[in-house]
Amino acid sequence: MEVKYGEMRFSGGSKYLLDPELARIVNISMALELPLLLKGEPGTGKTMLAHAIAESLPMPLIVLNVKSSMKLVDALYQYDTLTRLNDSRFGDSKRDVSNIEEYIKMGKIGQAFSSERKVVLLIDEIDKADTDFQDDMLDVLDQMSFDIIEIDKTVRTKHRPVVVITSNAKKDLSDPFLGRCNFHHIAFPTPDFMREIIQVHFPQLEKDLSRACVETFYRLREIPGIEKKPATRELINWIRAVRCDPDFRAARLGKGEVPYLGVLFKKSNDYVVAGQHIARLRI
Amino acid sequence: MFVSFFYKLKDAGVPVSPTSFLRLQKALGLGLIGSLEDFYTAARTVLVKSERYFDLYDQVFAHYFKGAELPEGEGVELDEAAKLLLEEWLRDPEGVARALGAEVEDLLRLTPQQLIAYFLERLKEQTEAHHGGSKWIGTKGTSPVGHSGYHPGGMRVGGRSQGQSAVKVAMDRRYRDYSQDGPLTMGQIGEALKRLRHMVPAGPKDQVNVEKTVYETLRNAGEIEIIFDRSLKDRLKVVLLIDNGGWSMDPYVEVVQVLFNYARAQFKDLKTYFFHNTIYDYVWADPPRRRKPQKVEEFSRLDPETRLVIVGDASMAPYELMAADGSIHIEERAMKPSIDRLQFLAASFRHTVWLNPRSQMEWSYVRTIQTIRMIFPMFELSLDGLEKAVRHLIRKN
Repeated sequence: MEVKYGEMRFSGGSKYLLDPELARIVNISMALELPLLLKGEPGTGKTMLAHAIAESLPMPLIVLNVKSSMKLVDALYQYDTLTRLNDSRFGDSKRDVSNIEEYIKMGKIGQAFSSERKVVLLIDEIDKADTDFQDDMLDVLDQMSFDIIEIDKTVRTKHRPVVVITSNAKKDLSDPFLGRCNFHHIAFPTPDFMREIIQVHFPQLEKDLSRACVETFYRLREIPGIEKKPATRELINWIRAVRCDPDFRAARLGKGEVPYLGVLFKKSNDYVVAGQHIARLRI
Repeated sequence: MFVSFFYKLKDAGVPVSPTSFLRLQKALGLGLIGSLEDFYTAARTVLVKSERYFDLYDQVFAHYFKGAELPEGEGVELDEAAKLLLEEWLRDPEGVARALGAEVEDLLRLTPQQLIAYFLERLKEQTEAHHGGSKWIGTKGTSPVGHSGYHPGGMRVGGRSQGQSAVKVAMDRRYRDYSQDGPLTMGQIGEALKRLRHMVPAGPKDQVNVEKTVYETLRNAGEIEIIFDRSLKDRLKVVLLIDNGGWSMDPYVEVVQVLFNYARAQFKDLKTYFFHNTIYDYVWADPPRRRKPQKVEEFSRLDPETRLVIVGDASMAPYELMAADGSIHIEERAMKPSIDRLQFLAASFRHTVWLNPRSQMEWSYVRTIQTIRMIFPMFELSLDGLEKAVRHLIRKN
């Protein structure tokens, strides 16, 4: 518990551009030992932040990808009854069948809690699971411990992990849950900031091309009636695609020609709408 | 420390809890907060739990540390009106100058900031002079001046802070677009879709789920345990009627259409029609209401289980609703008042709702809203209202 956070300051990763405001928030959350809940539209780097924290501090990263059908117990531990049944029937393993503990496997949260070093625990897209999952998780995060019912044992954290939770804001999280987290909403990057992000990912990219691509990208995001707007990930992939094309000229952007539209728009409806807009408005 | 700041937040309507306030004290105690910027971000991340309140937080922060004025009810409206006025000015400087009783040359000499300030000043005078009357630029919805391309939909997200002072950042009000608890905006489409997703019918629990039955029976040590599933029901048919006449409805027409179009896959059938103010003999399948008329009487041929969703502000002159020749369209002269038509529609379908973009607080002041509310269950066109409306639409009786 007595880890000095003062010296452990987070200041960005190698592929992650950190906004100073966000850096302050991360540091405060680490110091207060509170989970940090990040909201924001897809592509604003919520998940990447956890990766960057793990990389820069350096700590191992444990990722729990939440799925809609998930129960909290799955994330804590699993009792492998089948193997135990098999062992008791055939008895050809070295495990001690009468010792249930040997058949308990730790889930992602369990791993983070029982780890010998301090880790970063990323609980990704918590809003996907139903509310039971969040409610059950309250106590676990509050106490930083959970019980394994089968062997009546309590798992306590040796080192409180740095917990980052992301949500796509599809569902509102419950108030008690929010009460136990720090909160930040990541806004979509401004064009200037986006150019810096591009610079980090493509250090060799010419200035003009970068500017033209980013400008086009933001104009495409403005098209009305798009369900899934292209995000940072799409932009990076698109630039990658454009660079592979020897015939591509940056000057041709903005004249109603946007190649590889499918990289940016992934819903057929959006693709059609965007295509029409580009042709009509010469984006 | 900062106890009064905490209570200011609470009074302003930001849900803050004492626990989180203590947590902030802990952060202060740990010496983590060295500047006002640090305090701004730390207090926000610890105290405020939803981006919806970021804007309010910004305002309170600016007020507390800089003495910026907290908004009165009128402020926002004036801002919007000034914006409209500015756009109008850009299009037609002379007209605006004449309306304000000023010389174009005088106004041209002002910088943009001064111009805005001037407009705001004039608007305030207008409001004070004859509040609620028919001002020449609408802050209350009686504007003869067009709205010249103004479109409140869409989300403009402010930039990030980089080295700006906290008070300035707070005064930027970057989170304004998130705070609207009012009518639906394009930015809320995703959330709204989630609400619509509940619009699926639920059949009775009358089908045996064999797999689960076997499983539960085994768990029960062989004692038979039969598990029933809900039987599938046909997907819903939806008829959407949108009031697209008049500028007060303009911002919502597109939002509603996009919303229902994306939800289309979950409906068996979605038909959209348009009308102006209220419904007479016809509704139209094309937005200009010209080419594809549809007789309202023919709706009686549709499946009565079809869900009827009407979107409109339900605000008009009472005679438009009550008089037998109330229609402003000369060709509609069936001599049946609109109210009869609405009653006919309400009787033709078992599940109907009326979504109104005007805030519920205003409903009791408008006579036609009150009348129409007696015919159709009315809900606000907001996230909450949508949720209630969907609940109403899938009710069994």
